[in-house]
Amino acid sequence: MTMTNPNDDMLDDLFAQAREADVKPSDALMARILSDADDVQGAMQPEQTVATSGLWARILDALGGWPAVSGLAAATVAGVWIGVAPPSSVQDLTASLVGDEVSVDLFSTGLAFDTGVSVDG
Amino acid sequence: MTVSQDPFAGAPDEALLIAFANGDGQAARFLTARLLPRVLAQATRMMGNATEAEDVAQDAMMRLWKVAADWRQNEAQVSTWLYRVTANLCTDRLRKRRGAVSLDQVAEPLDDSPSVRAQMQTRARMMALSDALAQLPERQAQAVSLRHLEGLSNPDIAQIMDISVRSVESLTARGKRALADLMAGRKAELGYDDDQPE
Repeated sequence: MTMTNPNDDMLDDLFAQAREADVKPSDALMARILSDADDVQGAMQPEQTVATSGLWARILDALGGWPAVSGLAAATVAGVWIGVAPPSSVQDLTASLVGDEVSVDLFSTGLAFDTGVSVDG
Repeated sequence: MTVSQDPFAGAPDEALLIAFANGDGQAARFLTARLLPRVLAQATRMMGNATEAEDVAQDAMMRLWKVAADWRQNEAQVSTWLYRVTANLCTDRLRKRRGAVSLDQVAEPLDDSPSVRAQMQTRARMMALSDALAQLPERQAQAVSLRHLEGLSNPDIAQIMDISVRSVESLTARGKRALADLMAGRKAELGYDDDQPE
């Protein structure tokens, strides 16, 4: 419903002129807006990485990633092996550092016998 | 700026916004190319001058980037949301303009040719319309501008303003009447007084 206000003609003409205005964004404005977008995007936490940042992933990160962990695993296996069947060089080193008696005191003769390890140092 | 082939052709605005939030390096550029012309046009019609309109448009787009990570899919269309944000930003600025209206905004033209005079008059009219919008209650100003400057339907405006269609009708009717009264005193100044423009 329109009122017959004598000023409506002027107003309708003004509205029409406003609608006709050809407004195009300048390159400078585009650049300002894209710079804002970059800033906001740069400050965001990327969502895709959330799935991999669980406890295990954090432990991995703390240890230095997969290469470090594989090296650690190899060292652990080697350590167990050395503990079970120490090469003579390790035995000699241990003996020179802490003395011959220690290796005998640490293992019961039964256990040493079962594993076939000679403890007579 | 050259816009290379659009990798998002056919995708809704919302998909680009989510791509932006997920770190896509191209989404912002294509989304801006899509949305900025309309945002800037809306701001220009409400503010009546290019500088303020550009500031509003930049501000509206900034709000879009910031909301991207929390965008709730299917709750609102990006275009509807932007109409609302732009209208709100404009009325915020128009409110500050009240009481300091049109003292020196229309300078005398240096070049007195008819085309320059016509341009100056159009600019003066658009500024006068914007100043009159500034005098209206904010909801009226928003409803009137969405209806008569953007040419949107009442149901669309109802969605943008989050009110009923009946409220839109009431706001636009009252707003337009108030606007006509405000503009009445400036008829001569704006070249509407008689057949011969000033």
